[in-house]
Amino acid sequence: MPKHGIVPAGTVRFLAFAALVFIIGAAFTAVEPRFLSTQNISAVTRHMAANGLAALGLTLVVIVRKFDLSFAGTACFSAMTIGFMIAGGHDLWLCIMAGVLAAAIVGAFNGIAISYFGLPDIVTTIATGSIAGGLAFLYSQGRTIFRNFVTSGILDLNDARLFGYSASFFFLIALYAVAWVFMHRTRYGASFHATGENPVSAYFSGVPTRTYTMMAFIICAITSVFAVVLILAESGTADTNKGATLLMPAYAGVFLGAALLGGTSVLATLAGTLLITMLLDGFSLLGVPYYYSDGVVSAILLTGVVLFDARVRQLFSDLASFIQPVTSASEKRS
Amino acid sequence: MTDVISTHAVAERRHSKAINRIIGRYWLVATLLVMIAVFAFLKPQLLDNSNIATILRSSALMAIMILGLTWVIAAGKIDVSFMQIAALGNMTTAWLLASGSGWALAATCGVAVGAVAGLLNGTLIAILGIPPLIVTIATGGICASIAAALGKGTSIRIADAGLLGDLLFTNWGPVPVIAVIAALFYLISWYAQEKLTFGHYIFALAQNEKAVNEAGIAARSLLLFLFVFSGICSAIAGVLLAASLSSGQPMIGSSYFIDGLTAVLLGGLMLRIGKPNVLGTTTAVLLLSVLVSGSAMVGWADYQRQIVKGVLLLVGVAVAMQFGHRSSSPIQGA
Amino acid sequence: MTVPALCAKAVSKRFGRINALDDVDFVLEKGEVHALLGVNGAGKSTFIKILSGVYIKDKGVIEVDGREIDCHNPKDAIRCGIATVQQHPELVADFTGYENIFLGRESARAGFLSGIDRSVLKRRGDELLSRFPVEIDLSRRIEDMSAVEREIIAILQAIGGDHIRILILDEPTSTLTEVEKEVLFRLMNTLRASGISILYITHRLEEVMEIADRFSVFRGGRMISTMTPQQVRDKNLSLAELMLGETLGAVFPDKADPAQLGELVLDVRNLRHQRLFSNVSFQLRRGEILGVFGLVGSGIDELSKVLYGALATDAGSVELNGRKVSPKSPAEALKAGIFLVPGDRRVEGLALQQSSIFNITLANLGRASSFAGFLKRSANRRESEEFAARVALSPANVTMPVSGFSGGNQQKIVVAKGLFADADVYIFVEPTVGVDIGARAKLYGLMRELAMTSGVIVMSTDCDEAHGISDRAFALYKGRQVVPAGGVFTRNELLMAGIIGDATHA
Repeated sequence: MPKHGIVPAGTVRFLAFAALVFIIGAAFTAVEPRFLSTQNISAVTRHMAANGLAALGLTLVVIVRKFDLSFAGTACFSAMTIGFMIAGGHDLWLCIMAGVLAAAIVGAFNGIAISYFGLPDIVTTIATGSIAGGLAFLYSQGRTIFRNFVTSGILDLNDARLFGYSASFFFLIALYAVAWVFMHRTRYGASFHATGENPVSAYFSGVPTRTYTMMAFIICAITSVFAVVLILAESGTADTNKGATLLMPAYAGVFLGAALLGGTSVLATLAGTLLITMLLDGFSLLGVPYYYSDGVVSAILLTGVVLFDARVRQLFSDLASFIQPVTSASEKRS
Repeated sequence: MTDVISTHAVAERRHSKAINRIIGRYWLVATLLVMIAVFAFLKPQLLDNSNIATILRSSALMAIMILGLTWVIAAGKIDVSFMQIAALGNMTTAWLLASGSGWALAATCGVAVGAVAGLLNGTLIAILGIPPLIVTIATGGICASIAAALGKGTSIRIADAGLLGDLLFTNWGPVPVIAVIAALFYLISWYAQEKLTFGHYIFALAQNEKAVNEAGIAARSLLLFLFVFSGICSAIAGVLLAASLSSGQPMIGSSYFIDGLTAVLLGGLMLRIGKPNVLGTTTAVLLLSVLVSGSAMVGWADYQRQIVKGVLLLVGVAVAMQFGHRSSSPIQGA
Repeated sequence: MTVPALCAKAVSKRFGRINALDDVDFVLEKGEVHALLGVNGAGKSTFIKILSGVYIKDKGVIEVDGREIDCHNPKDAIRCGIATVQQHPELVADFTGYENIFLGRESARAGFLSGIDRSVLKRRGDELLSRFPVEIDLSRRIEDMSAVEREIIAILQAIGGDHIRILILDEPTSTLTEVEKEVLFRLMNTLRASGISILYITHRLEEVMEIADRFSVFRGGRMISTMTPQQVRDKNLSLAELMLGETLGAVFPDKADPAQLGELVLDVRNLRHQRLFSNVSFQLRRGEILGVFGLVGSGIDELSKVLYGALATDAGSVELNGRKVSPKSPAEALKAGIFLVPGDRRVEGLALQQSSIFNITLANLGRASSFAGFLKRSANRRESEEFAARVALSPANVTMPVSGFSGGNQQKIVVAKGLFADADVYIFVEPTVGVDIGARAKLYGLMRELAMTSGVIVMSTDCDEAHGISDRAFALYKGRQVVPAGGVFTRNELLMAGIIGDATHA
């Protein structure tokens, strides 16, 4: 349930979350003191940036009560677009814009098909993601692109530091801050929430719901490009698999955060992403092999959703049978 | 409450004319026949005995993998973990064989892990009511991780494919024995779907879970069973694949993902439009196998096929919206 | 002295600190139609839920046919012979009538592996129809059926098990037209004749007088009194006052003084939408309320949506304050100055999980935010509180989710939303469905207030309402407008106009 502004009732949940972060951090540090080193925190923040960026757009899609399974494929497509442009010697920002444009086109296609033509979201985005992923091969028949990467300046995006920590992290925080203000303090955010909560009544209130739903898909595609740019910056090459890994952590971040903080929101996603990234990084530091990552993330997501979601829902349904008579009976008396 | 095929679009319901209905119901079969004709014309080798056997064999394996999935989606839920469950079954079998067990034990365990995974899915989705997409994304991740871990990140060689391997490669003329077995399973399933309350209730579930519950039908048990059954089917396919390839591959499922979903959804677009059914799945699986075989012969690359499959899926969904029996669906929430 | 079909003694139920039911005694005689009346929260729903096994009573005894029963769940209740039909019965849209009636009971053996034989279902269904004759084609799918047909299917499904002696109907007529109600009442008579006792909940007081043998009034968790319609007539009692426990002034406020009317606000000519309505023309002046009466399906819902831009108009023109308008969406209609209070507030009017502030400001985000799009939060809160006070929202809490308010108060929030939208024309569709008497009077007062500065149109399937609140009214009969020959329709003329399309023999 989207909340309107920062609700005081959420403070308890927020504190619980903070406690959780603290406990996890302490547990990892106890086993492996390097966890708290500047180098590691820098790595955590850098990984968080990529995951968090993709999750931000997905948050918007989930708020309008849709699902997007295509942004991984879209990210691959954009990655290769950017790589192709870089190899062509163009200015870095032009290359990135090209990637953004490519993603926006896919996002717009999703948005139009789902919002204006009423196609089902899950199946449609599976299809478009697959198509986009296939299109990624068109640029170089699937061969890795690495020409001009070093000279283009893209690697700097990975290396840039602010106060000793990864600059991309601060970019993430800034973007989330902007997103929060947008969603909770502007009419546009209100329109998004209205569209998601009850599209019919939003339409009757004059909100152009179809446009907003479409925009959610476009924004989701674009943020996944931001994420994939960071991935490209780190590896220095572009191949058709860059972006495939974005799906799981993004969903985990959005839904774990939603389960913990009681509703899908920008803040919840940030919290969820932080938790997931911390856990992944901690396990990797402890020497747990890479192929366990997906499993770890999934298990945590599942546990979080089951523990918090199911129980909360149970509680709510019990309360509901109490709340109904209370309101009307007490009203009658007054 | 979820119907993967339909949405709460603002589009008005169309009253299909008779001819539209006929097109809508049988276009898939027509497409299959046209495709065979076209490819056979271009490359007559398509119709060689050995090639037909190959097509039928891979169709059989795919069909077995997604038999349970057909009903899960028909009941209005989604399962994106089926391929990873297959991979887990596959790797479990391989790992046990490599550790010295016989085929009987290895195969049984391989199938059993599928049942366990299905049980996990079913419990969380049917009993606890957690959204199926999130659950299956997570359980899929867990299964994939365990599968990879079993092989320490790589594949496991199987020395001797045993009886199962022999069975898989036995043909009666152009028809592999395994295809006959698969066809038998499908026939039994078709009977259950059409002539027993089993199938009737599945379709009712997809429309209105509340009505089913109020009629005194144990909807939750039915759903639980469907997920367990789906897990078993996927795992059986995984075990068969182990025998077929003489190795355990942790990533075995990835190519089956799009294919599997496409087959179920395309199949859902014939006969009972918008409702996945076993005959439809059979036809769609054959269609995809012919596409794979024919396009390989004609010289298409993997990624080109991927794009075509995605487009096929999209077209299929759009066709369903156009010609199908649309019932206004409740607010969605997968 | 025959044993009553159902007998409840000293039944009580608490939820937390609230006494939902307090020491209720109740008797349902065999073969009677017994109505339950009471405002929302009076306890009748709780009582019904206990009878049908959804809730478990805290105290008291319930007897069916003289034998004490103890129901812990809906299945128990059915075993005891008590069947319930919900207000919005859950049916499988794609299945036929036959399939829905026997859902779960397709064959003697329960479970998932029994065979389905559709010819057997047809035979059983036809058999049922021969026992309870009613005009219905069971081979059609639910989604193609009308509201009363669905209600009939739900009833047939409920009584499908032979041993049902008591049938509970929860507001079965709320979505039915006058004509459809008669169909339902005929079915109820047939059921009654076969020995089934019927208990039904309704808000429509006229129905009680027409169909019930006896009725009981619930108030504040207690059963206040049971009487027959004849007793009410004899003693000249007011059912509304019985339900509210207080003297009610006139529900409808005074009409406007024709001399005081303002300028022309809305001028509609020859409006048409496909075949749903055509040639609708009317004028609306500031200060007056225009009523439109029509049965379900007469076109009034579509008319409201066309005026609001949610449906396209094929022909005709609309002029607002002298300017031609043709909104293509509610957004455009709002900008032009038209506001619709929709018929189904939960689906069309409100975002239930959000606060009143959110809902009130949603239709006029321009006013609610600055040029850059930032919401003016303190101003919005202040204005929401002002509007909440004006509509007498209770409790006066603008930050609480709207779902926590009763139906009447939710409707007030929608009205407040309209006030915030500052429209020139307000269209109300079915404004008091599911709203109890007390809140209704308040809403009517609000409409009259609104009319003083804007034009107000009230469209309703309730003739009393359409006639009572408006200064003048016309009817829509199957898409055709029926206007008074000269002057104004009387209430009976309006009723005839809407029911048969001709007011001359009223």
